[in-house]
Amino acid sequence: MNTEAIKDLLYKIADDQLILGHRNSEWTGFGPLLEEDIAFSSMAQDKVGQSWQFYKILNELGESEPDTLAFMRNAEQFHNCQLTELPNGEYDFSLIRHFLFDTAELIRFNMLSESSYEPIALLSKKIKGEVKYHTMHANIWIKQLGSATEESISRLQKSLDYAMPYALGIFEASKFEATLKQDGVFEGEVVLKTTWLAQVAGILEQTELTMPSIDQVQPLVGGRYGNHTDHLQPLLDEMSEVFQVDPSADW
Amino acid sequence: MSLKSLDPRVGRLHISEQEDNDKTQKGALDQFETYEAFVQVKEGKSLDHVGSVHAPNEEMAFLFAKEQYTRRGMYCNTLCIVKTENIMMSEFSDNKISVYDSVTVNPTGIITEEFEIFHMFKRGKHHRFIGTVNALNFEDAMANSKVFYPSEKPVYNVWVVNAKHMLTSDDDDRDIWDTLKEKQYREAIDYKGQDIIKAYKEKIAPD
Repeated sequence: MNTEAIKDLLYKIADDQLILGHRNSEWTGFGPLLEEDIAFSSMAQDKVGQSWQFYKILNELGESEPDTLAFMRNAEQFHNCQLTELPNGEYDFSLIRHFLFDTAELIRFNMLSESSYEPIALLSKKIKGEVKYHTMHANIWIKQLGSATEESISRLQKSLDYAMPYALGIFEASKFEATLKQDGVFEGEVVLKTTWLAQVAGILEQTELTMPSIDQVQPLVGGRYGNHTDHLQPLLDEMSEVFQVDPSADW
Repeated sequence: MSLKSLDPRVGRLHISEQEDNDKTQKGALDQFETYEAFVQVKEGKSLDHVGSVHAPNEEMAFLFAKEQYTRRGMYCNTLCIVKTENIMMSEFSDNKISVYDSVTVNPTGIITEEFEIFHMFKRGKHHRFIGTVNALNFEDAMANSKVFYPSEKPVYNVWVVNAKHMLTSDDDDRDIWDTLKEKQYREAIDYKGQDIIKAYKEKIAPD
């Protein structure tokens, strides 16, 4: 099996989880109601926990320790898609991102549960239930606010239209698509995207929201190979602030 | 006095004091309605009332209760939600007197609906799911429950819920709790800082 290809796959998954987990954790204490604050914070924690487990596999393949990978890299060394690094904005955008991203993530983990690379298959099987709840949470919120009031519908629609080019960036092709598919590690971003489009449309159909015409949307790619928006580096600086004070500190 | 937050997230909001003062007053009682959550930790264990959540509807109450009441602990098998207003409550009793003692009617034998029965065995403790009865209405459910679920311990309060008002998690969705036992970091007990604190205390004030 091609180790470089597997590492490429692991990095993008781990970095997505870490960056979005951190972004979502910024809502802690600011949620629209106490119950939602706790739910959203718990899911953010799940994502950071998932990233750690993917970094562990990378570590076993010869990469640095999880903490080093999380806190000692600069923006251009990160492989997350740009969608995950965008500032939280208002809750409408955070919910739309959560919906678009987690729908893709659950499909990804379902696909990877069948991976020929055992550590990825085992981990995906283990955590896909966690992500299933994340998608339940996202779907119910989108269905609720997507058919509630004029304000909630128009806000979500605006955020959806804004997020879509970034969301398509989730599926930026890997340099190793063919190899990963051939080795049975991962069926690929194209298959993932096709399933995702159908599922997203399926939920939106149950609301007053309109699915943007995907053919007209120019995907914003580059994140998978270090090309990020200006929002990522400040996030990394803030996230690693405590770690940088004393990298050897024991928690 | 002007307060400045050290939290960069607060700083980014650029909230001016003026804005803070101008904030319109919130109306009274503007919260969502409440729903009661019940959890069965493992198959074969009891289904217990764990608390309530505010939510605009049943589905969202389920979402919130899942993280409110099952984000810690080792396992979860089932989560049930009932809107608080759909719980019919008996009188309270005390001093070893069972609330069923005041139920004097016999079951009518007329079966129109299913009711879920919950008992409270100690004042201040949670209600526990006891079983289901087929009955005509609340009073009849109480009468049936007295016959079918006699209790050695005195029952101080009973909740009766029409079965159609109970939202129960799907068996297929049990995997949402698969990783619960690995979330020990959510327990304060997981942080063993005592040694570090002791060493630090000795360092700053050696005796």
